[in-house]
Amino acid sequence: MNKKHAIMAVLVVALAAIVAAVAGSVNAAVKAPTLTIWTDADRQTAVTQVANQWAASRGVQVNVVQKQFGNIRDDLGTVAAADAPDVIVGAHDWTGKLAANGLVAPLYPKAATLKQFPAYTLNAFSYGTAVKKLYGAPVAVENIGLVVNTKLAKVPTTWAQLEKEALAFKHKKSGNLAIAVQQGTNGDAYHMYPFFSGLGGYVFGKNHAGNLDPSNIGVASAAFTKHASLVDKWNKEGLINAKVDATTAQSAFLKGQAAFWVTGPWNIDTIKKAGIHFRVIQVPAIVKPAVPFLGVQGFMVTKYAATHDVSAAAQDLVANYMMTPAAQTLLAAANNRYPANTVAGKSVKDPYLAQFGKASVGGVPMPNIPQMDSVWSDLGGAWVKATKGSGATKASVAFKAASRSIANKIG
Amino acid sequence: MNAHVVTAPAVPPARTFRPAWSARAIAAFSGTTGLAVKIVLLSLSNALAAWAGFVLADKGKWPALGVLVLATATLDWIYLSKRTLPLKFLAPGVVFLVGFQIVPILYTINVAFTNYSTGHVISKPDAIQQIKLVSLEAPPSARQYTMAPARDHGGKLVLILREDATGNGYVGTKEGLTPLPAGSVKAGALGIVSAPADYKLVKGAALFGLDAQLQDFTVPTDGDSAIRPQGITEAVELRPTLRYDAKRDVFTRISDGKVFHDNGRGSFVSGKEELEPGWKTYIGASNFRSIASNPLVRAPFLRVFAWTIFFATATVFLSFAIGLFLAIALDKQGMRFQRIYRSILVLPYAIPGFLSILVWAGLLNDDFGVVNRTFHLSVPWLFDANWAKVACILVSVWLTVPYFFLVAMGALQSIPAELIEAARVDGGGPWQRFRRVTLPLLLVATAPLLIASFAFNFNNFNVIYLLTGGGPAQGGSNVAGATDILISYTYKLAIAAGKGNDYGLATAVSIIIFLIVATISGIAFWRTKTLEEIR
Repeated sequence: MNKKHAIMAVLVVALAAIVAAVAGSVNAAVKAPTLTIWTDADRQTAVTQVANQWAASRGVQVNVVQKQFGNIRDDLGTVAAADAPDVIVGAHDWTGKLAANGLVAPLYPKAATLKQFPAYTLNAFSYGTAVKKLYGAPVAVENIGLVVNTKLAKVPTTWAQLEKEALAFKHKKSGNLAIAVQQGTNGDAYHMYPFFSGLGGYVFGKNHAGNLDPSNIGVASAAFTKHASLVDKWNKEGLINAKVDATTAQSAFLKGQAAFWVTGPWNIDTIKKAGIHFRVIQVPAIVKPAVPFLGVQGFMVTKYAATHDVSAAAQDLVANYMMTPAAQTLLAAANNRYPANTVAGKSVKDPYLAQFGKASVGGVPMPNIPQMDSVWSDLGGAWVKATKGSGATKASVAFKAASRSIANKIG
Repeated sequence: MNAHVVTAPAVPPARTFRPAWSARAIAAFSGTTGLAVKIVLLSLSNALAAWAGFVLADKGKWPALGVLVLATATLDWIYLSKRTLPLKFLAPGVVFLVGFQIVPILYTINVAFTNYSTGHVISKPDAIQQIKLVSLEAPPSARQYTMAPARDHGGKLVLILREDATGNGYVGTKEGLTPLPAGSVKAGALGIVSAPADYKLVKGAALFGLDAQLQDFTVPTDGDSAIRPQGITEAVELRPTLRYDAKRDVFTRISDGKVFHDNGRGSFVSGKEELEPGWKTYIGASNFRSIASNPLVRAPFLRVFAWTIFFATATVFLSFAIGLFLAIALDKQGMRFQRIYRSILVLPYAIPGFLSILVWAGLLNDDFGVVNRTFHLSVPWLFDANWAKVACILVSVWLTVPYFFLVAMGALQSIPAELIEAARVDGGGPWQRFRRVTLPLLLVATAPLLIASFAFNFNNFNVIYLLTGGGPAQGGSNVAGATDILISYTYKLAIAAGKGNDYGLATAVSIIIFLIVATISGIAFWRTKTLEEIR
């Protein structure tokens, strides 16, 4: 090595050392104890506000990280412990999977706090094959309902009335839809659930301990199979059409080409903006009440809170502070949902949210056990096969096949 | 011809000598500027390595640190030594090859031999910890307390407790519960606000410094039951339902004495009962065996495989044929608006595939799509198994044609006009000229691209997932829909297996796919070589 090379080597080493020293000091500065929260974009502002209020009263710091909602669940399993969140926002139907993966920690809110929540919201976040534990603090509830354009149709009180009104509207003009409910190629078991439950179908039964039993599948239950021929009738008369996907359903309703739309509170603003006069009701009972799936959103403490030595702080924020009526009001309003806390619920003024609340009566929380992953595509697929117009499969056959497939997958 | 060779040295005098840009670039890097650039770049790479080294050392990843040091030292040697000129050009490529190809492949192979799936995500020690935590239950007469950590006169950590139901005050230590004088413990909205003077409440940020101690702090009550702090203002009485014996590595259920032992596949089991969560561990070739034996995986495999081959082959050949046809059609000299035509034809290539595929899905909607409505058709494009396949090929051809149009256009220019002229002189018709001269020459140039395109379409997840989502669903217990290709089927296996995700099985399938694609491409390249020899 000649002199030039020696100088160069020295320079390289010196520069590298300086940069590394700076990086090292930055690394050390990050180590101050802070609570990391993963939230979706809709709730970011509200979460930041609530978390900061709490942090100020407790003398700690929070770091709110925005992620896409679904990614919160998926990334929690793969994130490196150092970057992992201590608290996440999540949907109740993630509970089983996250708990089975060992990624979330059980919570023990005070008895007085728990009293302020409807039992189903707490059950929705509870999971355990042996001992049932609460894993989430419910914050907001949501469900779909039947949105009626009151200028185009009368608000039906019975199923027969709805069927008549919807078909009459459809025949008025080509391009009109009877009931706009989204399915598409791969189906949508969530939006079809009112029709499914209305015919006596269910997803998982419960065992004697009151837990969901993945071996008791009601996709082709006796009650449903008995009335399945009604689905074939709906398909024939075009009451429900699998070829309507999310975009088609929405644009049809907004353009006045559908008087009935099965959707949730996330579309309230869209309908208001289109200047449509509407009311929200539960789909009228078919042979049984046509109840929707209930969704509960809330906050969970991850297993990483203990790793980061902030578990006490995380539990305090989630099981204590976020369950108070004040925090619930803020967090639920953030994305236009009804708060889970009943005390907070009393202060809700939005008439449409109240109507969606009424449409939830008798509803069934989406099963939160991990086996639910095997259900969505098959149940949605059965609806598509039975309601795709000409060439459709008989409903009783399609749902029996789906039931078999689900049982096979769960094993 | 000869005349041309003779006149060649007579370069127009106005044009001064300018070496190729590559030669100039090399020259620039040899001077002082080059030296400075080199020092800065090398320093940056070393600094990056040093920073990464700190992080790795911090997390105790010693093997990775060793690799990092070795790699950095090698890079420094390559660029500081005078004898390593070829390596200087090779090194960056090798770095990227290792980083973006070899490491992911090794990782995939590694995962394929594990049980990584729902319920098997964390490590075994974490799983044991988690099982202990979730198997706690509230005894029938469980009491809840408002709690505040405090220091006694000796500075020892204790819990000041106020029972929610009765308002009685206690002090809890690791030995047990001691009552405090009535009314001496007061609670407010934020927890306990006052305690007897003997105890100093821990407040503010200091509270959170106690986290690790609070996690393990238990105040024993009756039998197994103990009061455990939850958060910083609450404590609850809980008792374990399972006991872990570290020596035997088993969990025993307290109620019935049932013993759960490590089944070697990442779970504690007793008969059919399994404790959640399990952990991630190596399970040998189990995933590969289940591809062969699990009817859920095996049944659709051949059907999906056949469709994948057909889809990729049809896409490549149709696109190539159409692209070539268009290129020849627009190759005519002196055609008007030639550039405009060419630009329009390349447009699909310029629009992001994600968008155009979604637009196609809307256009092809059976009842409401533009295609059926405009042409007054009622073709079930997306809802019939066979038509959905046609739709997939249609869209992927639409997306691929511009590529082959560009390739064919370029390749046509490179075919010497003399050869075609010679064929014409020899009396060959247009078809014969194309078939005997243009096409063989074109194929020599484009065959590797055809193979690459085949490999790409073999794994063209976007078209399938965004257009049909693999649907329409097939009967029976099929995870795979009618238009699922191997990679989208693998994805479904990975996300919608019995209990949610099964990454281990999905990676095993993707390794099989890799082997299939590698074999087909290998054979194809070998055939191409023969083609070149014929030339």
